[in-house]
Amino acid sequence: MAHLEDLPPATRQRLTDLDCPTYETTPFVAGVPLRQRRVAIVTSAGLVSRGDKPMLAGDNGFRELPTALPAGDIVMSHVSVNFDRTGFQRDINIAYPVDRLRELAADGVIGSVADRHYSVMGANDPKAWDGLADGLVERLRQDRVDAVVLSPV
Amino acid sequence: MSALGHLIEQRGIATTAIGLIRLHMEKIRGPRGLFVPFELGRPLGEPEDAAFQRRVLQAALNLLERSDGPAILGDFADQAPGRLPAADWQSAVTLPTIARLADGAGAVDWMEALKGELAAVLPAWERVHTARGRTTVGVGRLPLESWASLVCAFLDGQPPDASPVPDLRAVQAARYVIDDLKALYTEAAVAPGARPSSRQVLDWFWDRTVAARLIRAVRAACLASPDKVLNLVGGGQLVPSARVSA
Repeated sequence: MAHLEDLPPATRQRLTDLDCPTYETTPFVAGVPLRQRRVAIVTSAGLVSRGDKPMLAGDNGFRELPTALPAGDIVMSHVSVNFDRTGFQRDINIAYPVDRLRELAADGVIGSVADRHYSVMGANDPKAWDGLADGLVERLRQDRVDAVVLSPV
Repeated sequence: MSALGHLIEQRGIATTAIGLIRLHMEKIRGPRGLFVPFELGRPLGEPEDAAFQRRVLQAALNLLERSDGPAILGDFADQAPGRLPAADWQSAVTLPTIARLADGAGAVDWMEALKGELAAVLPAWERVHTARGRTTVGVGRLPLESWASLVCAFLDGQPPDASPVPDLRAVQAARYVIDDLKALYTEAAVAPGARPSSRQVLDWFWDRTVAARLIRAVRAACLASPDKVLNLVGGGQLVPSARVSA
């Protein structure tokens, strides 16, 4: 249903008019086969650990979500109210598929699951995300991650 | 997320992005992307359907095996089964009959009405919470007993003097309490094992509850306020644009 023509008119117009960044370069990193990759999730759902300050509009940082963090200790603080949250209420994997990633590792489809995953505020302007990317990549390297799956809302 | 994929890849780590808006993926041209035809908020397609989610995730990860990049853009062909309404779904909450408040009703009347409705919602929510073993309620970091007075404090278009949450403005604290209020209701409405569409659940909430009417009244008060922060948060972060009109 996220075909633009299926969205409410106001949401459709906002998304159609959104100023997307374009880049002069097209980086493309090769690597080992998928079955050897160590994979982390980065979600733009504004997820935070229960009790932590919500991610506000303009917060261009990231929050860490340890793989072992129980689903009940994760809440959503995204600033937008224009997407469905009832799916997330029933099943955290709808936006943060950490259990599915564990299963793929157990079945040998991927090499391993990272120790930590990450959450950002997807409503912010990616043109301000160079510092965010620097910080994320530093943490990913410390965890020996060589593949990231990005999950939006 | 295609943009963040570009930035991470630029720094040397391979990425694959699930995407819900194909137009944005086409414009940004990230390293690898899988467009999925699901509703916003559900990038893995279907809650409580591990097999379906796994197919989506594996399709995105499989793009890492391709060498014909950059700017690989794939499509996931299947629709999510739960996009269609469940024929026999009914809310697990039986709402009490509460007289509709007149336009311009004051905070005391709204608080009374909300508390009356919450008395019916809470037992259902507790059953669901126990069965699921988790809840998404809690982002506001305030006890339930304080929700009604905080939310209703904005009905006159003026923020309270002090915020009840030290690291947030009062209107931000109220906004996240309203997120909790919505989550409490919509979690309570869906009994474990039921599979309503999001639209069914949200129609129930926005069309039938006192809580939704109160949130719309707070939005209207914030929009009418001379306070620009109230205009911004109250006007844009309380009611989905598709649900502004009752």
